Amino acid sequence: MADPLLSVRDLVVEFPTRRGTLRALDRVSFDIMPGEVLGMVGESGAGKSITGAAIIGLIEPPGRIAGGEIRLKGERIDTLRPEALRRIRGKRIGMVFQDPLTSLNPLYTVAQQLIETIRTHIDCSEAEARKRAVALLDRVGIPAAARRIDDYPHHFSGGMRQRVVIALALCAEPELVIADEPTTALDVSVQSQIIEVLKDICAERGAAVMLITHDMGVIAETADRVAVLYAGRVAEIGPVREVITEALHPYTRGLMGSIPTLTQESDRLVQIPGAMPRLNAIPQGCAFNPRCDRAFAPCFTDRPELLALAGGRQVACWLHDTAKAQEVPHG
Amino acid sequence: MAEPLLKIEGLTRRFDVSKPWLNRVIERDEKQFLTANADVSFEIAKGETFALVGESGSGKSTIAKMVVGLLPPSAGTITFAGQKIDTGAGIPRSLRRRFQMIFQDPFASLNPRWRVGEIIAEPIRTFGLMNPTDARNEAARLLEVVGLSAGDVNKFPHEFSGGQRQRIAIARALSSKPEFIVCDEPTSALDVSVQAQILNLMRDLQDEFGLTYLLISHDLSVVRHMSTRIGVLYLGRLVEVAQGKRLFSEPQHPYTRMLLDAVPDLALSGRRRHAVEGEIPNPISPPPGCAFHPRCPLVHDRCKREVPQPRPTPIGQAACHALDRLAPAA
Repeated sequence: MADPLLSVRDLVVEFPTRRGTLRALDRVSFDIMPGEVLGMVGESGAGKSITGAAIIGLIEPPGRIAGGEIRLKGERIDTLRPEALRRIRGKRIGMVFQDPLTSLNPLYTVAQQLIETIRTHIDCSEAEARKRAVALLDRVGIPAAARRIDDYPHHFSGGMRQRVVIALALCAEPELVIADEPTTALDVSVQSQIIEVLKDICAERGAAVMLITHDMGVIAETADRVAVLYAGRVAEIGPVREVITEALHPYTRGLMGSIPTLTQESDRLVQIPGAMPRLNAIPQGCAFNPRCDRAFAPCFTDRPELLALAGGRQVACWLHDTAKAQEVPHG
Repeated sequence: MAEPLLKIEGLTRRFDVSKPWLNRVIERDEKQFLTANADVSFEIAKGETFALVGESGSGKSTIAKMVVGLLPPSAGTITFAGQKIDTGAGIPRSLRRRFQMIFQDPFASLNPRWRVGEIIAEPIRTFGLMNPTDARNEAARLLEVVGLSAGDVNKFPHEFSGGQRQRIAIARALSSKPEFIVCDEPTSALDVSVQAQILNLMRDLQDEFGLTYLLISHDLSVVRHMSTRIGVLYLGRLVEVAQGKRLFSEPQHPYTRMLLDAVPDLALSGRRRHAVEGEIPNPISPPPGCAFHPRCPLVHDRCKREVPQPRPTPIGQAACHALDRLAPAA
């Protein structure tokens, strides 16, 4: 197998607070292969966005990476000094955030922002950069790109702005794009356009995508593999089809059942009792044990590690640990 | 059909978005109006869940506000249980008790300085339905009905999570024993697993108390799961009304079809989503004729001139000039 483009191992992110240290991420590990789309799902507070922020070194102090490592093509990037990291951010890792209005500077035209970004990362003349910028805007589907490039962000609608942001993320030809809820602020009809653009353009350039979203529908259509986060830990990773149709982790199964679909015929949605624990009250053992209907002895004492199973699937659940699972009470 | 619980006819709401008077005089500008809703008519029968779907800016919430009397309509009538509501004079108290509203954001809709018991008992007090002791007991009972514990009456809203707060909002809506509840995006601020809990709760309560819902949502799968009938809004106009599940299997209006095609599907049916052309136009200057015509694949000359009127379809009604041409394809 090829070497992963991005490799995250045992990543721990902590936020010191007056009432003790909160672990927002607790030993999170995953890989992203070159050109792959990895979906990252979970409910609010599961640690999706923090994972993205940690990779690009944008964790807000006092939060900090307290352990583990992040490697981009084998090279550690979590220990780099800020200036060195800045050269990677934007150049090798592009970013698309949820709200396109806050990621664009309202005082500069789209042309100025694109040209500045291109010239920061790629050695070229202003005219050359402008040509690239127009081509890129055209590619992300902005009509009359050559004329509209001199408009300000407020001249564009929400969907068009998000296209500009995608162009901005891709203008330095990054190897990895981190897209954090790129379509959450948009209407469904526009959402499908944006996802399509993001997916096609990344495939064209061979850029891998880490797609962070709470919308399983978007993941189902876009991602190759999906990682499910729960309370700052990875519950399950696997090819998207398998994870959705035959989830291994009880949490994933509950999550999938709780989503109303456009085809199902059942009258009631599957309901996971309770809510995700707060970060200062994560139970001992498996973080999901108070809500799990299949919890047994080891779940309450020991934390399950990610187990590698056949078919490239990984799950952190004692039910799938053959040694422990024999203790499962039947019936 | 028996007498509908709620009947809306020709409901229209315009907002004045003109510049200030002096600017208008100096710049010789006309007054400008934003038409949030134009000529919307539908009926809701007792015990059903009628859903309104549409993209942002399609006028969903404006309808909800007009129905509960938070906004006066510019034109049109609202009839509740056979009684016409005179919107100029406000809704009579006797009627007002019978409908309630649940809002989207449970962090904004509960007063942070009130105890949960007081929040829930407020409608009882306002309408003078019970004495204070009974009202307290009723609040405790309602908390159990919505799946919280009776001891929570003395807590403050900040002690609860988003899903629990939405349960409190539901308990408050139930306290005046309404027949009709307007739910404006009740689960949009919640996570999916919590959303499932709230949707299940809403259904249970509907069965238990015989409630009628007007559900406003932009999430088509939620709407499909909950509704008996669905109205699709586009730029303030009702383009299609249809029986719940059949809207999804046999959509009639081209906009409905487009919207359904755009929804990402968990079922992994492998169907390719059609990227929708264009975006929703500016409601201040909507296109003439059918507002959907610039994005419509079936557009012809008539659509650009004439506003289509609703016509019956096999599953309800739709407002589209191309329906006849569509029929054989469906």
